[in-house]
Amino acid sequence: MALVMTPKDFATATPSWWCPGCGDYGVLAALKSALADLALQPKDVAFVSGIGCSGKISGYLHSYAFHGVHGRALPVAQAVKLANRDLTVIAAGGDGDGFAIGAGHFLHAVRRNANVTYIVMDNQTYGLTKGQSSPTSDLGYVTGTSPGGNPDAPLNGMAVALAAGGTFIARGFSAQPKALVEIIKQAVQHDGFSVVEVMSPCVTYNKHNTYAWFKDNVFDVSQIEGYDNTNRHHAFEALTAEGKIPLGVIYREERATLDNLVLGDTPPLVSADVYDTGRFAGIQDAYR
Amino acid sequence: MILNDIEVMFGGQAGDGSLTTGDLIAGVFKRMGLEVYTYKDFPSRIRGGHTNYVIRAGTTPNYGMADAVDALVAFDLEAVQLHVEELRPGGFVIFDNTSETIPTEFRRADVTWYEIPLAKIAKEDLGLEIVRNTISLGVLAALIGMDPHIVRRDVTNVYKRKGEKVVDLNIRAIEAGENYIRDHFAGTPSGYGLQAGVDGDRLIMMGNDAIAYGSLVGGCRFMAGYPITPATDVLEWMAKYLPRYGGVAIQVEDELAAINMIIGAAFTGVRAMTATSGPGLSLMTEGIGLAGSLEIPIVVIECARAGPSTGLPTKTEQSNLNHIIFGGHGEIPKIVLAPGTVEESFYLAIEAFNLAEKYQCPVFLLTEQALCQSKATLPRLQFDEIEVERGKLVLDPVVFGEYRRFAFTDDGVSPRVIPGVEGGMHLAPGSEHSDAGVITENPKNRARMMEKRMRKLVSAAPDLPKASVIAQPGARVGLIGYGSNRGPLVETQTRLQKLGTPANFMQLRTLWPFPDDEVRAFVAEHDHVFIVENNYTGQVARLIRAAVGPLDHVHSVRKYNAQPFRPIEIIDAVQQIVNARPLAGV
Repeated sequence: MALVMTPKDFATATPSWWCPGCGDYGVLAALKSALADLALQPKDVAFVSGIGCSGKISGYLHSYAFHGVHGRALPVAQAVKLANRDLTVIAAGGDGDGFAIGAGHFLHAVRRNANVTYIVMDNQTYGLTKGQSSPTSDLGYVTGTSPGGNPDAPLNGMAVALAAGGTFIARGFSAQPKALVEIIKQAVQHDGFSVVEVMSPCVTYNKHNTYAWFKDNVFDVSQIEGYDNTNRHHAFEALTAEGKIPLGVIYREERATLDNLVLGDTPPLVSADVYDTGRFAGIQDAYR
Repeated sequence: MILNDIEVMFGGQAGDGSLTTGDLIAGVFKRMGLEVYTYKDFPSRIRGGHTNYVIRAGTTPNYGMADAVDALVAFDLEAVQLHVEELRPGGFVIFDNTSETIPTEFRRADVTWYEIPLAKIAKEDLGLEIVRNTISLGVLAALIGMDPHIVRRDVTNVYKRKGEKVVDLNIRAIEAGENYIRDHFAGTPSGYGLQAGVDGDRLIMMGNDAIAYGSLVGGCRFMAGYPITPATDVLEWMAKYLPRYGGVAIQVEDELAAINMIIGAAFTGVRAMTATSGPGLSLMTEGIGLAGSLEIPIVVIECARAGPSTGLPTKTEQSNLNHIIFGGHGEIPKIVLAPGTVEESFYLAIEAFNLAEKYQCPVFLLTEQALCQSKATLPRLQFDEIEVERGKLVLDPVVFGEYRRFAFTDDGVSPRVIPGVEGGMHLAPGSEHSDAGVITENPKNRARMMEKRMRKLVSAAPDLPKASVIAQPGARVGLIGYGSNRGPLVETQTRLQKLGTPANFMQLRTLWPFPDDEVRAFVAEHDHVFIVENNYTGQVARLIRAAVGPLDHVHSVRKYNAQPFRPIEIIDAVQQIVNARPLAGV
């Protein structure tokens, strides 16, 4: 039975803790629209978030939502998918959560290719601790912990994902809702691990990477002549080129997913029988 | 002659195959009807470095080391140098003298020496040096009277997957060993003998295998882990068996992933576990707090080794108890169980999963290297009374109005709905939250939520495994210990009685919430109480002092050289105190 869903079906009554004008509102709105467009039901969506301003998003999406510890959204999300492959599993978090404290999990989630969507809400700063530099902050970004300017080169998370064997790599901008909804829909539909980095300006602490700055510094990857988003070389060139930031679905490929590799035809683990214990009694015969 | 009571030590270099031979011997002893315990004392490296494997057999189940080694099978001089002092007077040494000789200072006169060129025979007569292990098995079999039919059958079974040629080679190696004793040492008996009894319907199993088996039976269908000694066996067992029963075991990038993955699987409604050791547990600590806060049932197997830091990765210790109980920021309800035998490891693993789901909190199963990597004989496992109890798990669509995942209840346990069920959508936040899962910093809610979560331990109390007490009539001495020390403590108790000092032994099986009342009553009943544990600071002793206050008659006996207790060490400690201050009424 296909129900007609609207973004409101995914709304919670919880008031937002984000600052007015925060880019994360755009991410949330796009996510709700994408899920409604895909006619998913809240009961079948598991939404896992990390810690930081972005991590608050799980409180605002009506679903089975999980707000874990800093940097660990991906392990939780992958296990939810393995435990019940019938669920649509989405993880979300910020650039610090995904590329600093959780960077190890990010690499392994990418190579593992579980059927999970990961939205990185990138504001290029640590907002919730009041504006320190993050793994994606510009070189020279002056903050309380980097008064002489951020000495670390920014991490190109999507290029890293491509190098690590990513099968769906996309980037959006929170102020371009229509394009973002489309990207998230494709990501959720992708069979494998899909990464969507959303440029999501911090209006309070990041005075450089503002809405206005992004408008001048982003372009859609499809504008590159002859661009083929199934071509790794094209994708790598687009992701690492100097200059403006490419948006859109930058790369996609089909590859066996973790769930299929380890589960095969196994029904969702959550439906496995646990009560019939007598059938295990014969195992001990191997120890006689 | 000493009959049916022997401790054999195989000593050599890691990677030389002595583990396989040791396992073979353990199997033969078991099939001869004896009770068996094995202890692996190996280095943290794969090839080279001294390793030894102890196999103890007797007519009573002594699941621990004896006072001394009876038979040392030494493949090199280093094994003699390290262990000759541990030999019982009257014991014997089988030494491979192919390329080394025993210097006079190690040649104890009160033990018998069988110097045999094992490697030379292996190489020259059989064509393969590695079979010197099997030759030594033939030598030992001839010296102590292992049943030759059982030896041959077991050797065949162990090597048959490698093909007929390998089986044949090893059978010839057994014969070569037996023949050597017949031809060269016919007039030099070892002083030890075995008499075949009835094997019966028994098993021989390693502690880690029993834990994994119990976890499968207890409903675990998801395991995530990261390889770490001495816990890896559990992940390997589950990786083999879980897929056959609709489950999955995966190796992940680190312990942070492992703990968060099992939390994710458990949140989704699947019984989930991980197995680790000290260093891994340190990394998991934050995640365990999350499971406590979100009231998610997880089971963590801790196979303790000697710490801190990398410590002694392959050696035994009981120094992680404080970390398990008190580790982590904030306060959560948690349950810590500690099996004392391989058999109990199976049953308590099942219990751990039931408790976790009934009380929606992390449950630890604490064991240590001297138990979890040891094999022991045990009676056939019983399945009749095993029951999987899932507590307040709600699988049917709910029409509650607004579902409150963390509802305040009398017992502290809230009905738990899992993803996919209509009507149960909610947020599970590691931040403090209302009963409906909404993040809040409201002080009244905070206090109420703390009380709700912690109340679960009070509710759980009647369900927790009681300490097991083995009593002796007229005992004025009490012994307290847990885990692998059950073996040496039971033996200590038996021997103290023979020495005229009957003792009662309390084996703690639930270590948290700490059984204050049980311990208080036990301590009050005795003139002297000895708390026996493998750590420096006396972690159990401190928990007991917190329960009973400082008392002159409570004594702490500790060993922290990363080796298990031998009974004589405990007996000496008891006698020293008891003799200095005689018992009341004596």
